[in-house]
Amino acid sequence: MTTDTASPHIDVAPPRGWRTWFTQENLITTVVGIIVAVAVFLPLIALVINSFLVLDDLGFDTEWGLQNYREVFQGRVIRKALVNTALISTGCTILATLLGVSLAWVNARTNCPFREQLEPFNLIPFFLSPFVGAIAWHNLASPKVGLLNNMAKSIFGISFPLFNVNNLWGVIWVTGIFFAPLVYLFVVGSLRRMDPSLEDSARTTGAGLLRTTMTITLPLVTPAILSGAIIVFVTTAGEFGVPFKLSAPFGWETLTTQIFTKAVGDDANHYLGAAMSMVVGVVTAFFIWIQHRIIAPRAYTTVTGKGFRPNLIDLGGWKWLAFGYNVFYVCVAVILPIICLLFVSLHKIWSGSVIWSELTFWNYQKVLFFWWPESIDAATNGIINSFILAFGGASIAMVLAIIVSYMIHRTKGFGSKMLDFLSVIPIGFPGIVLAMGVLVTYIKTPIYATLWILLLGYITRFFPYGQRNISSIMMAVSEELDQSSRMAGASWLTTLRRITIPLLKPGIFAGWILLFVIFLRELSISIILYSVGTETLSVGVYYLSNFENEPMTAALSIAQTVALLICVVIFRKVAGKEALTA
Amino acid sequence: MSFVEITKLVKSFGPEVAVAGIDLSVEQGEFVTLLGPSGCGKTTTLRCIAGLEHPDSGDIQIEGDYVTSATNDVFLTPEERNLGMVFQSYAVWPHMTVFDNVAYGLRIRRETRAAIKEKTTKALNLVGLGHLAERYATKLSGGQRQRVALARAIVYNPKVVLFDEPLSNLDAKLREQMRIELTRLQHDVGITSIYVTHDQTEALVMSDRVVVMDKGVIQQIGDPETIYAEPTNAFVANFIGVANLMEGKLLGHDGELTEIEIPLGDGSAPIRLRATGAEGAPVDAKIILSIRPEDILLHLEKPADASNLIEGEVIDTVYLGNFLDCQVQVGPHEVGVQIDHFEELDLGQKVYLSFTPDHGLCLTE
Amino acid sequence: MTDNNYLQVDYLVKYFGDDRAVDGISFGIPEGKFLTLLGPSGCGKTTTLMCIAGLHKPDAGEIRIGADPVTSMEKSINIAPEKRNIGMVFQSYAIWPHMDVTQNVAYPLEIRNMAQSEIDDRVAEALKIVGLTDMADKNATQLSGGQQQRAALARAMVFRPRLLLFDEPLSNLDLKLREQMRVELKRIQHEIGITSIYVTHDQAEALVMSDEIIVMSKGNIEQSGGPHAIYARPVNKFVSDFIGVANLTEGRIVGNGGAGTGTIEIAQGGEDVQLPCLLADGLAEGDDAYLSVRPENVNASRKPVDGPRIEGEVIQSVFLGNCLDCRVKWGEFEWKVLAHSRERLRVGEKVYVSLDPDHTLAVKP
Ligand SMILES: Nc1ncnc2c1ncn2[C@@H]1O[C@H](COP(=O)(O)OP(=O)(O)OP(=O)(O)O)[C@@H](O)[C@H]1O
Ligand SMILES: Nc1ncnc2c1ncn2[C@@H]1O[C@H](COP(=O)(O)OP(=O)(O)OP(=O)(O)O)[C@@H](O)[C@H]1O
Ligand SMILES: [Mg+2]
Ligand SMILES: [Mg+2]
Repeated sequence: MTTDTASPHIDVAPPRGWRTWFTQENLITTVVGIIVAVAVFLPLIALVINSFLVLDDLGFDTEWGLQNYREVFQGRVIRKALVNTALISTGCTILATLLGVSLAWVNARTNCPFREQLEPFNLIPFFLSPFVGAIAWHNLASPKVGLLNNMAKSIFGISFPLFNVNNLWGVIWVTGIFFAPLVYLFVVGSLRRMDPSLEDSARTTGAGLLRTTMTITLPLVTPAILSGAIIVFVTTAGEFGVPFKLSAPFGWETLTTQIFTKAVGDDANHYLGAAMSMVVGVVTAFFIWIQHRIIAPRAYTTVTGKGFRPNLIDLGGWKWLAFGYNVFYVCVAVILPIICLLFVSLHKIWSGSVIWSELTFWNYQKVLFFWWPESIDAATNGIINSFILAFGGASIAMVLAIIVSYMIHRTKGFGSKMLDFLSVIPIGFPGIVLAMGVLVTYIKTPIYATLWILLLGYITRFFPYGQRNISSIMMAVSEELDQSSRMAGASWLTTLRRITIPLLKPGIFAGWILLFVIFLRELSISIILYSVGTETLSVGVYYLSNFENEPMTAALSIAQTVALLICVVIFRKVAGKEALTA
Repeated sequence: MSFVEITKLVKSFGPEVAVAGIDLSVEQGEFVTLLGPSGCGKTTTLRCIAGLEHPDSGDIQIEGDYVTSATNDVFLTPEERNLGMVFQSYAVWPHMTVFDNVAYGLRIRRETRAAIKEKTTKALNLVGLGHLAERYATKLSGGQRQRVALARAIVYNPKVVLFDEPLSNLDAKLREQMRIELTRLQHDVGITSIYVTHDQTEALVMSDRVVVMDKGVIQQIGDPETIYAEPTNAFVANFIGVANLMEGKLLGHDGELTEIEIPLGDGSAPIRLRATGAEGAPVDAKIILSIRPEDILLHLEKPADASNLIEGEVIDTVYLGNFLDCQVQVGPHEVGVQIDHFEELDLGQKVYLSFTPDHGLCLTE
Repeated sequence: MTDNNYLQVDYLVKYFGDDRAVDGISFGIPEGKFLTLLGPSGCGKTTTLMCIAGLHKPDAGEIRIGADPVTSMEKSINIAPEKRNIGMVFQSYAIWPHMDVTQNVAYPLEIRNMAQSEIDDRVAEALKIVGLTDMADKNATQLSGGQQQRAALARAMVFRPRLLLFDEPLSNLDLKLREQMRVELKRIQHEIGITSIYVTHDQAEALVMSDEIIVMSKGNIEQSGGPHAIYARPVNKFVSDFIGVANLTEGRIVGNGGAGTGTIEIAQGGEDVQLPCLLADGLAEGDDAYLSVRPENVNASRKPVDGPRIEGEVIQSVFLGNCLDCRVKWGEFEWKVLAHSRERLRVGEKVYVSLDPDHTLAVKP
C-alpha cells in the first residue's frame, strides 16, 4: 500500500506574546539572573559613582567632578604607581609566558626524563599564595637579610649583595614564577590534545624538527598562549601582596598598594580609591573581553582521527638539560621558598643566616595556639575566620554555580544568555577592585565589619571559577542522559537527584576544593574589607609582617602553605590528574 | 629493481608484532593498496615507509636508494625522503590559508616566489579548489580539507604519495565521489601511490594492485579482479566481498572441474557438487568451497535440469532496495543468496539453490 | 486514518520561533509494527519523535496511544514524559556512566518501586535478549559502542513500555557494526513485539528494518508505505532521489495506456525518446513528470536492442566486486548502470541502453 499523503495545511500561528514568554524556565532563570546581576553590578555601579565624587579639602563633603581622575593620571605619586603597575604586568607576563610555554612543551612533547613526576610540582605554585612567595623571596634575596646573599658572602666571600628583590625586578620575578602555571595550564592541554598528524604531515612535507616546532606546533597553540598571557597580565595588575611586601616599602608603589592606602588607614579617601580601581578595572576588563571574544573562539578545535598516539620528540642528550631546567623551576618556585620560610620561622630573630643552636617552635606557638593568652589575635583569628570563610564560601558558591550552570545549559530561556554573560564579568575585575566596590556599596549597612561582607566579596568575585568547572562537565554530559531518565519514568526532581548531580559530582568536588584553596589564601579582597576581629589568614600574615617580625610571619606562612598543600593532594585525588589541564 | 622495494620489514611495539616480515615492490606510477582488517599493521607499514616509525629490521629502498636499512644502519628522517602523505584526520593546518598550506612544502624547498605561486595554483586547480585559495582551512568542509591535504602532498612532486585511510572521515556519498576523483587525479599526475584502507570497495575501485594483509603478514597480492575472482585462501575470499564458505572433501578431478562432497552433519546425506580450483590437491583432501552470494540462483520449485543443486530453508530475508539478501539454512551452514528481483519469501520456506561449477571455487588450506 | 492504529498522530504542528519544523502531519501505526521516519537532516523527524515522547510540546495536534490521548492541544492535554510509559533510545547511547550495566537497566524498575526479586528477574531477562548477560557488572564506560547501544535498548524496554522510540540509534557506530546491529535490532523488536518508531536519515537502514516507512521533507510527509513499495514505486522526484540511486530526468507524459501504464517522452541532445512506463497516481497525459529508473534496471549492451534506441558511450566503469558501476553518456545525461561484473564494459565503448518497462516509472516533479 502506497499512500501519498500531502498534509493539509493546519492553520496555527506561531506562538507569540507574553504568555509564551511566561514559562516556568524563564521565570526561574530571570529571578536568579536578577539576584546575580545585583550582586555583580551593584559594586561596579557604586564604584563608578564614587569615582566621580571629589572630597573637599576639609574631608567632610563631596561634589561631582573629574578631580580624582586628574589625580590618578597627573598626581606625582599615583602616576608613578600607574607606570610601575604597567611595567610589572608587562614584565611578569613575558616571564610567566616564557616559563609556562617552555615547561609545557618539555612536559607534553619531549622525552624529558621523569616528566610525569615533575608535572604535579610544576602546578604547585598555582595553589600557593604569591604573597607568601614574596615573603619567602624577601628572606632569600633581599640585600640585608637575604639568605642567598649571606650564603654567597660566607661561602664565596662576595661582599656586595648578589641579589636584590626589593625593586620592580623582584616583583616581576616572584609574580612571574608564581603565575607561570597559569600559562602552563592553558598550553599543556592544547599541546596534548593536538592531532599528531598535523606535525607528521609537516615532517613528510620536508620540514625538519625545529622548523615543524616553530611553524606548526607553536602557531597552533598561540591562542592558548595568548589566553594564558592575558590572564597573567590581568592577575598581575590586580596583585597586591607581592608589590606590597617587596617593593612598596622601598619606594616602588603600584596602583594596588595605592588603592589599599586609600581604602584604610589615616589617609583614607574612598573616592580616589574608587577612581584608581576604575582605571585598573577598565583595563583588565578590556583585556578579558578580548580574550573571550577574540582569542578563545580562535582556539583551533583539534580533530583527532583514529589511531591517536602522542608522538614525543627525542631530545637526545639535551633531555637532561630540559630536566635540569624543570628542576630549577621547581626549586625556585616551590622548594627554596618553603625551605627558607621554614628556617626563618624556627628562629626567634632572623638575621639572614641559619643559627642551628637557636632553633625553636616558639613562633608557631604564638601564631597557632589560639587558646594561649600570649598568642597573637590577628593570626589566630585569621586562621579560624579563613577556615569558616573557605568552607562556607566554597559551599555557597558551588550551590550557586550548579544552579547557574544548570540554567545556562539546560534551559533555553532568555535568562540563560544573560546568566552566561553575568558569570564572566567578575573575572574581568581584580579582587581589590571588586572589593573597593563592595566596600563603598555596603559601608553604611550592618554587614560592614562582619564576616558576611568578606563572604559576599569572595563569592561575587570567585563563583565563576566554580561555575566553569561545572559548565565544562555539563557540556560534555549530553542532555540525552537526562532525557532518558525522564523517559524511564523519573520526574524532573528525581532525575536531578539521581542522574544530573551524581554525574557532576567530580566537577563539584574539584570546584569546591579549588574555591576552598582560593579563599584560604585570599588577600586582596580581605585586606580591603577586613576589620579588627574579622582578619583572615593572609591578613594575619600581612599584620605580622607589618607589625611583628619576619620569623613570626614565616611561621604563619608555613601554616598556610601546609594547609594549601594538603588541599592540592586532595584535589589531585578527587579530580584526577587531568582535571586542570583538560 | 622496482621503484619502491620493501624487504623483510618487521616492526613490533613491545611484545606485539605489528608487522611481521613484509616483502613488497611497487612500480613507478602504480597505485597499490594495503587492505586488511583493523590492527593488521597497514598503518605501521606505511609509517615505516614514511620514516615516522623506526622498523626493527628490514630494508626499504626508494628509487634504488636505501631510506631505511637495518643491515646497513641507514635511517633517513621523514623530511629527507621527499614523500607526500595524506592522513585520515586531514591534518590541514588551521592557522594557515589554503594557499599557505599547499605552498608550505615549496617554501621549505626554497623555491622562488613565482614558482611557488605557479605550482600551488596549479595543484589547487587540479583538486578543484582554485577559488578557495585565500580561505582559512577551518572554514572548509571535510571533503575540501581532504583535497587541500592532497594538493599539499603532491605539489612538490614527491617520489611517492602515501595515503592513510584518507576518505574514512567523509560521509558515504562524498566518499564515493572522492574515490573516483582521487583515481582520476592519480592517473593524470601519474604519481606512485601507496594507499591504506580497510574498506574493500575502496581498494577494488581505486587500485592497480591490492595487497591483502592480516596479522602483520601479506595474504595475497594481485589486481582487483583476480583478488575478487580467485582468492587464494579463505581469509581473502571472506574479506573481499562476501563469500559462503563450506568445508568439504575432494572426491576427484574431472577435466577442468573438481568433484567435491560437503557433509551436512548428522543424519543427512552429504551433498556432491562440482566446482573449480584445487587442481593439484589429492583425492580425500580437505577443501573449502567458496561461492559468492550473487552467483547462487534461488528456485522455489525443484528445477528439472540443474546440476549442483542444494536444498535448504529460508531463515532470514533482508530487503536492501536493489536486491534481496536471503539467508538459507543448509545443514549446519547458513548460505547467503543475493536475489536481484523482489520476491515474497516466507521464513521456513523450502527453496533450492544452484550454481554453475565455474562459480564455485575450492580452496585448500 | 484507521481506528485500529495503536499510535495515532493527527495534524501535528510544532514551531521553533517562526520556523514550522513539523507542518501538520498525520500518521498511524498498528500494534507491534516497526515504523520508520526517514528524511534528510532537519526535516523534523526528531521533533516529531520528541512530541510523541512528551519532551517537546507541540503547538497543535493530537497524539493518541491506544485509547488515551497523551497530547491534545485542543483539549489542553499534555502528559509529562515520565507518565507516558514510553521507552526511548538515543543516538548518543545516553548510558549513565556513573552506574554499571545492571544499575542502568534496573533504574526504570526502581523508579516504579518494584520488588527487588522482580527487578533482578526482569533485568536478567532484558540483558539476555540484547545479549549482554556477561557484561552485567561492567561499567558503562567499559563497553564498546555497539554494547552501549544494546544496554540502552535493554533499559528502554525493561519496563515493558507501550511504545519504543529510537532516534538514529546506530549513527555513532562504524559501518560494519551498524550493518550488524540493524539486523539485531530488528530481531529484538520482533521478539518482544513492542510497537516501535524509528528515526533515521539512512535509507538503507530504513529499508532493512521497517514494516512501514514515512518519508519526510521540510516538516511534511512525502510518501508512506512498505519498504518495497517505497523503493519500487516512489511517487515523486524527491522520494525517488532520496531512496536508493535513481536515473532521474525531466520529461512529459505523452500517452496513457490505462491500468497505471503510460508513455513518457524524454529529450536529450536533440533526440526524443518515448518510453513505456508506469505512472504514479495522479499523473495524466500532458503533465510534466520525471522519468525514474534504478541503475539495476538499466541494461547496457554492445548489440542494439528492440524498442527505443538510446545509444551512448561508457565514460566510467568501476569494479565493485559483485558488479560494475558504469556511467553511460547520452547527450548531456549520464545513465547510471549497474552491470554484472562479468560483462566487463570498458570506458570509451559504444553501448545501447535499454530500460526494463516494469521498473520504469514516471513520477511527479
Ligand atoms: N605506537 C604504538 N604503540 C603501541 N602499539 C602500536 C602502536 N602503533 C600500532 N600499534 C599496534 O600495532 C598493531 C598494528 O597497528 P596499525 O596501526 O598498523 O594497524 P592498522 O592496520 O593501520 O589498523 P586500522 O585499520 O585500525 O588503522 C595494532 O595491534 C596496534 O595496537
Ligand atoms: N530546540 C530547537 N530550537 C530551535 N530550532 C530547532 C530546535 N530543534 C530543532 N529545530 C529546528 O527544527 C527543524 C527540524 O529539526 P529536527 O531536529 O526535527 O530535524 P531532524 O529531521 O531530526 O534532522 P537530523 O537528521 O539532522 O537529526 C530544523 O530546522 C531545526 O533547526
Ligand atoms: Mg591504520
Ligand atoms: Mg534528529
